Amino acid sequence: MPFLQFSNVDYSYPTGDKDFIQALYSVDLTVERGEFVALVGTNGSGKSTLARLANGLYVPDRGFVTVDGQSTGEKGNLYDIRKKIGVVFQNPDNQTVTTVVEDDVAFGPENLGLAPAEIRERVDWALECVGMSEYAKSNPARLSGGQKQRVAIAGVLALKPELMILDEATGMLDPEGRAEVMKVVTRLNRDEGMAVIMITHFMEEAAQADRIVILKNGRVTADGRELFSQPHAFTDAGLELPLTVRLGVKLKAAGLDLGLPLDADAFVAAAVKALGGDE
Amino acid sequence: MLEVVRLSYVYSPKTPFAKQALRGVDLKIEDGDFFGIIGGTGAGKSTLVSHFNALTRVQKKSGTVVVDGVDLSGKRLDLKKLRASVGMVFQYPEHQLFDDTVEKDVAFGPKNLGLTKDEQAARAKQAIELVGLDYAEFAQRSPFELSGGQKRRVAIAGVIAMHPKILVLDEPTAGLDPKGKREIMKLILNIKQLCPTVIMISHNMDEIAEYCNKIAVMKNGAVAGVYTPRELFGSRETIGSCGVALPLVTELAAKLCAAGLPVDPATLTEDDLIKQLTEAARA
Repeated sequence: MPFLQFSNVDYSYPTGDKDFIQALYSVDLTVERGEFVALVGTNGSGKSTLARLANGLYVPDRGFVTVDGQSTGEKGNLYDIRKKIGVVFQNPDNQTVTTVVEDDVAFGPENLGLAPAEIRERVDWALECVGMSEYAKSNPARLSGGQKQRVAIAGVLALKPELMILDEATGMLDPEGRAEVMKVVTRLNRDEGMAVIMITHFMEEAAQADRIVILKNGRVTADGRELFSQPHAFTDAGLELPLTVRLGVKLKAAGLDLGLPLDADAFVAAAVKALGGDE
Repeated sequence: MLEVVRLSYVYSPKTPFAKQALRGVDLKIEDGDFFGIIGGTGAGKSTLVSHFNALTRVQKKSGTVVVDGVDLSGKRLDLKKLRASVGMVFQYPEHQLFDDTVEKDVAFGPKNLGLTKDEQAARAKQAIELVGLDYAEFAQRSPFELSGGQKRRVAIAGVIAMHPKILVLDEPTAGLDPKGKREIMKLILNIKQLCPTVIMISHNMDEIAEYCNKIAVMKNGAVAGVYTPRELFGSRETIGSCGVALPLVTELAAKLCAAGLPVDPATLTEDDLIKQLTEAARA
């Protein structure tokens, strides 16, 4: 059984005057334990709605969402589900609850009713993971945006979820902060076997995932590995390609075929092969 | 012209939490500049620009900011006038929308300037159109039922309606998808015709390289240097000493050059790189 399963899910938001805006249409999606999935789509394509359905913040209008076999539609399951799926949102200011960093990270484990020694261990480990140990006693309100976001990630990590969903969690960070978060997330995925759903506008980040899911106007329009070999799947959904893929497409049109390299190193290797060089 | 003179700033001074955010910043921003400010989170960028409309007041004996001849460290500062001439678009400005129609939200600034009803309406209409929204379609709608990108446009229109001479934007494209980012940047270029001086904080080096004529790099509360895009992104030493990331295309060009290919390591645009590579293929 897949760890997370969306089965034929519809979801609509009320808009006041008895009207509804449908955000998701018949979404089928599965995520296995240990997978690293990138979820991409333009603003308004339904990505964040999907994240909120995954841990039962929203419940489907039609169809069902299950986590480890348990439906999010049953209120009694939510406690278990939210232990298994942690969500990091875009704006860290809305995710901080206390005035001391380590208290904030401890908030989740405390609510799980863990022993104090275990909480201590998890908090230290989580802050270490995101490189914020030296700020353990600081006030989150006095940290920079990137630092706050790393604290928010540590707060979710301390719950040791089996799946972490990052909803544009790097959107407010500088390039360095973004790279750091990516490093932390890929390491947790690789070494701890934590599954990751990364919702992002940065195609270079998406290219690092095992699998990419594209949402367009509330529907899944593409889902697969090596999806960048089909550039149309992205451009049709109003998305951009990673720089190296985009250049590959344009160069091919201009008569120079370097393939569709996924990152700078692959691009350089292809260029050297085609044009000659030192290496 | 906006001039920053030896400006320092300490948060929570004389408390155990005292934190020096700015350390003797000197900066000169000329009329007509598209001035970029970059630097890591916590470098002091937002603290610096919040001085420009006296939202953060200059602290005692901490230098000053002079906007069009007005010294912002002065005691009798006409805040109303200053804030009409320096427009500030914060991060996620859509969070500041509050009124029940787009038109009223945009007209709020002009209303507070004491303009007549007709003038308020005229300014709102002009601003809404300038940010690329159809006036007839959007004026009477609630700003809260618009998409993220549209909300951001309305929020920017609210600032533009004040007819500022200097527009300060703090990460104007953060959180938008690539198409939304491009649209906002296009809109800023449109606005620049009405408000010729634009100051932009951004983490997006591709945008900085493409749009700004001057770039200040901030590090640890100080300005590490002011450069043109080519000076900054074309020199390894400058980049290295400033701790700045390269635009993706420049990073790739540098790697291609290092691998022995005939590519300019200071390439700033994709089209330029494509041209160089196709020429190399023909040679």
